[in-house]
Amino acid sequence: MMAQVHSLTGVLLDDVALTLEELARACDVEPDWVVRHVRAGVLGGAPDMPVQAASLRFRSIDLLRARRLRDIERDFDANEDLAALVVDMADEIRRLRARMHVLGMRLV
Amino acid sequence: MEYKDYYTVLGVERSASADEIKKAYRKLVRQYHPDVSKHKDADAKTKEINEAYDVLGDAEKRAAYDELGRGYRPGQEFRPPPDWGSQFDVNGAEGSDFFADLFAHVGRRGRAGGAGMGGMGGGFRMAGEDIHAGIAIDLRDAYQGATRNVTLRVPERNAAGRTVTRDKTLSVTIPKGVTPGQQLRLGGQGQPGIGGGPAGDLYLEVQLNPDPRYRTEGAHVYENVPVTPWEAALGASISVPTPSGPVEVTVPPGSQSGRKLRLKGRGIPAAQPGDLYLILDVVLPPASSDRARELYQAMARDLAFNPRDRIGA
Repeated sequence: MMAQVHSLTGVLLDDVALTLEELARACDVEPDWVVRHVRAGVLGGAPDMPVQAASLRFRSIDLLRARRLRDIERDFDANEDLAALVVDMADEIRRLRARMHVLGMRLV
Repeated sequence: MEYKDYYTVLGVERSASADEIKKAYRKLVRQYHPDVSKHKDADAKTKEINEAYDVLGDAEKRAAYDELGRGYRPGQEFRPPPDWGSQFDVNGAEGSDFFADLFAHVGRRGRAGGAGMGGMGGGFRMAGEDIHAGIAIDLRDAYQGATRNVTLRVPERNAAGRTVTRDKTLSVTIPKGVTPGQQLRLGGQGQPGIGGGPAGDLYLEVQLNPDPRYRTEGAHVYENVPVTPWEAALGASISVPTPSGPVEVTVPPGSQSGRKLRLKGRGIPAAQPGDLYLILDVVLPPASSDRARELYQAMARDLAFNPRDRIGA
């Protein structure tokens, strides 16, 4: 018997951003966790801006970062600031690797 | 399905304490983390380690796993008993078939479904979990859009009321202009909810298949273009194949290897379209015939050229 195939169109998160509740659900964390990380400047906009939970919107990069932060905090019982530092450093490594690849360079 | 020995995966004894399991897990996570590991199969290994810890790091799941796996060896054909797992909720879909079939029941902690959450009594509602997975496409698909099939293993109640898993195939239309790392959301395609709660969503992270001709950085695309020494020295109009089709490009006179020619807006057609960078690569003709050697000798004689001037030679 042929398996049924459902046709769907993916919505790009960078076209339709996630709300606070949606990001929290996608990361399996409480909304407070997200707000705390936004206030710390680790996710979303600038940390100095007042955080209005209802108006927060998140895109692909925030979802990726939030899930990485959550994994490091959970896997290593890590302090939130240290987890943020690890994620920032990992992002920088990725950026540098992509740059090297673009320039046709390889790590020896 | 084959039995998986999660204790072997984590390198611990079956009698290991929760603390020993956690320590072993952390050590392996660091060792195989895709950002730092040099292992070719770091991604697969990380998934395997996470799957093992998802079970052994949870007392309830570990007890169930120990109970079911008694007497099995790794790789041995495994069949859960017929009455196994009739009353539990579902799990995420990132593990193996073995994991999905075995632990579709013991369940991760579910989420409250907003106003519907009313304790474990009659009004209990819970939203289904979101599922996260990757989807690999070619660069050309990022330019043109594409349709790809994604198969998920999802839980389902059979006629006898048991939770079983089945494959569900989605034909996903990917819009043009996606860049690596972007997320596609498919509403309601995650795990089913409980007690009438809404289903979770499916998130697909876009990845590009490696292409020997092109490299990408966000929406920008880079392509090496071989040119002859005379095209580089004298300038030329050349035809270059690009992800969006062949283009005529003017090579400015006096170009050297490494010179970048920017074709604005010809990168990935994202909301902010990227640029296409053509990187010139001057290729010398081989001195493999008498005539070619004569020409090189004439250049050596007639051109007062020392490329090592700048380093003082």
